[in-house]
Amino acid sequence: MERRLVSSRRIREWREYLTAYLMIAPSTILIFTFGIFPVGFALFVSLHKWRLKRGGFLGMDNFVRALDNLSYILFFLLAVGLLVLGINAIRKMYQQASENDDRPWWLAFPALVFSATILALIYWVFKLLPELLDIADKIIGKEKSRELFVQLLGEAFRADLAFATWGIFTKLVLASIVVGVILFFAKAFQNTRNFGYLLNFVFIELMLLIGGWLIFVTYVAVQDAYRVAFEAGADPGIWPQVITIGSGVILIIISWRFWQSAIQQSSDRAFIFYILGALTLLVGGALLITELPTAMAAGDEDIWTGLKVTAFYSLGTVPFQLTFSLFLAILLFQRLAGSEMFRMLYFLPYVTPTVASAAIFRQLFSNRYQAPINQLLISLGFEPLQWVREPSGIFTMVAESLNFNLPEWAAGPSLALVVIMIYSIWTFVGYNTVIYLAGLGNISTELMEAAKIDGAGRWAIFRHITLPLLSPTTYFLSMLSIIGTFKAFNHIWVMRGGGGGAGSALGTTDTFSIVIFTEFFEKLRFGYASAMAFVLFAVILSLTFVNNKIQGSRVFYG
Amino acid sequence: MANSISVPRLEPKNERFLQVLGSWIGKLSIYALLILGVVISITPFVWMILTSLMTLGEAQGIRWIPTELHFENYVEAWKEAAFSEYFTNSVILTLITLSGELTFSILAAYAFARIKFPGRDALFALLLSTIMIPAMVNIIPNFLTVTWLGRIGPIKWINNWPAQTVPFMGSIFAIFLLRQFFQQVPNELYDAARIDGSGHLRFLWTVVLPLSKAPLMVIIVLSFIGSWNSLAWPMLVTNSPEWRPIALGLAQFVDEAGQRLNLMMAGAFITIIPILLIYFITQKQFTESIARSGLKG
Repeated sequence: MERRLVSSRRIREWREYLTAYLMIAPSTILIFTFGIFPVGFALFVSLHKWRLKRGGFLGMDNFVRALDNLSYILFFLLAVGLLVLGINAIRKMYQQASENDDRPWWLAFPALVFSATILALIYWVFKLLPELLDIADKIIGKEKSRELFVQLLGEAFRADLAFATWGIFTKLVLASIVVGVILFFAKAFQNTRNFGYLLNFVFIELMLLIGGWLIFVTYVAVQDAYRVAFEAGADPGIWPQVITIGSGVILIIISWRFWQSAIQQSSDRAFIFYILGALTLLVGGALLITELPTAMAAGDEDIWTGLKVTAFYSLGTVPFQLTFSLFLAILLFQRLAGSEMFRMLYFLPYVTPTVASAAIFRQLFSNRYQAPINQLLISLGFEPLQWVREPSGIFTMVAESLNFNLPEWAAGPSLALVVIMIYSIWTFVGYNTVIYLAGLGNISTELMEAAKIDGAGRWAIFRHITLPLLSPTTYFLSMLSIIGTFKAFNHIWVMRGGGGGAGSALGTTDTFSIVIFTEFFEKLRFGYASAMAFVLFAVILSLTFVNNKIQGSRVFYG
Repeated sequence: MANSISVPRLEPKNERFLQVLGSWIGKLSIYALLILGVVISITPFVWMILTSLMTLGEAQGIRWIPTELHFENYVEAWKEAAFSEYFTNSVILTLITLSGELTFSILAAYAFARIKFPGRDALFALLLSTIMIPAMVNIIPNFLTVTWLGRIGPIKWINNWPAQTVPFMGSIFAIFLLRQFFQQVPNELYDAARIDGSGHLRFLWTVVLPLSKAPLMVIIVLSFIGSWNSLAWPMLVTNSPEWRPIALGLAQFVDEAGQRLNLMMAGAFITIIPILLIYFITQKQFTESIARSGLKG
């Protein structure tokens, strides 16, 4: 009787699991196919010569073409980052283990089998992928049928390399199952924390293995580059660059650590010591990084202009968006009659289809002298401007109107890009205002009342109460907006006048996303465009990371 | 002694008057600033509507107010750009995407919110991390996947509905939003429903969904806006107007219309109208839900 009760409960539990897995299956499969798998697939594409059709395997060449020697340095840094992640995880686990008096270290061996299995799976997919892609070519001109597809699938599966790696993978899966069963029967998980340790070990070993492998592969690539360069009688100078720039980056990271611990010091002397140390390290790191321009001299210029344009675009929109919307939110928060209607109207630009509103802006800021903005300038006594067709930088234009010349590096964003910035601010202020309003609504009025009774003025209340308490909202919005500027596509595409050529402002409005898209869509360089997209991914990830470190530590969560 | 009791000081009359005046001036200046904001945010729309009603000569000139209202511009733009085709395409594409997205996301969100199963949190975190991936990384491999699927499978994907709908049916944003709401449904309701003999699906259909109208509406509106905006992906996976959505149609029309501003603005307004209607109908709940979730499609 007792036994049957237990087993029926078990069955019910399994049925629950099954229901849950069935319910999440469609979404999970779709997100895996079109959201997670593509990242690996893009990596695969970026390692090949791929112009509409897959060509030969290139290794890192696409990245080197994009970034010159800098790409080796970045690969080394990535590898070091993975190793640091792994070592950090070991340290955390050591602390946890000694706190709980556990001895989990022997779990590293079974974890090794599991992580090897995961790596073998990745390797197998990597080898099988080209065979699967070829099926589409083999099917051309034949009657599509299920039998044919299954037959071709079988052939792809049994192709030499794919089959060999499949063999390794299946053996490792068997080994994993055996290890899992042994662990289960050896009651390894009686201490429930052991399962966590096991997962931790798998993570650590994956990080260390991939990091080590990446260092090896990059090392081989650098040696190859040296060989090729020596044959041509040149010195690529990669190693000195890797060492100087790599140590520069490490110095800056240590300097940041010093800076953080300086704030925690209680005595003045220690504080000054740490600050001075941080500054020296920072200067040293910055000096070493000045090597950077030579390391990336032969890189693709489009990437650097794309990055520069994107940086201008971010810097020229995000601060203004946030300031204007905070201002509007505070005005709306006074709860005057009609504030609902104001909110609705401010939100309008955000919901408008971007192609339509960008088309309107393109005409408002048209270069024709009859266009509304030019008419406004004329009525104020100024000359009409070229606006969306003006490639020269706005600082240069201001300087020229004051009769002096600026050096080229100080030209600033082109006037055409400024129009796009104005458009973006116009579009997103309403959205940010709504979020800020919600943030303001969460601040307790008691605090404000108390400050008022203590005689704080309006500005003091804003500066010392409202602004700090809004910092989570500001943090969230700035993250969202910065990532948004890196993703921006539609309105820039419309305002630059669609595809084809450099666009109406001679490429000065082409952000990194646009550069990647034209490389892919017009020049049909799939491999190279994928490599560029990974550079974009790296930039976004490191921006998020830095923003997290700097701003995240200042966010005040009440 | 008796004098120590403090008597409330009466404010002199003119000081009181100044205070009232000050608060009035404050209110007026706030209104002035708010109205300035409104003027900036709606002037482009006003200009669009006015220009769309002008003759070609007026539209290219410096006028703001049309002398006569030329509604026939809309008819002409509608005919010239085949807007009716783009419109139906966009509506059909949105409906297909939405039906898939809603069904799949509701099911997944329910399982993530209310059923405990091994690997739940790790899987959810993994799915959520896809938000960080920039679209430009995914667009190339997805294009390859979609062409491949079309070439090996029985249905065409390129130049057809699947390429433009299926990839968007799995939406972690929708799952995330719905999960937040599903988690708030009290457990007592589920226990009661189980005693009545209903399983998960019936509980979901009869109790949970009727309680989650607000997030469902947000998802519907956002994905409507999303598919109304989609430009880069349709550019890749369609090459004839047969299955092109409205944003792409408008972008093309803007190129082709050249200097015919009145027609261009009529086309822009035609594109905006459905979104405006949806927004005005749902705007109160919509902006509030956006504010509450702080999320963006």
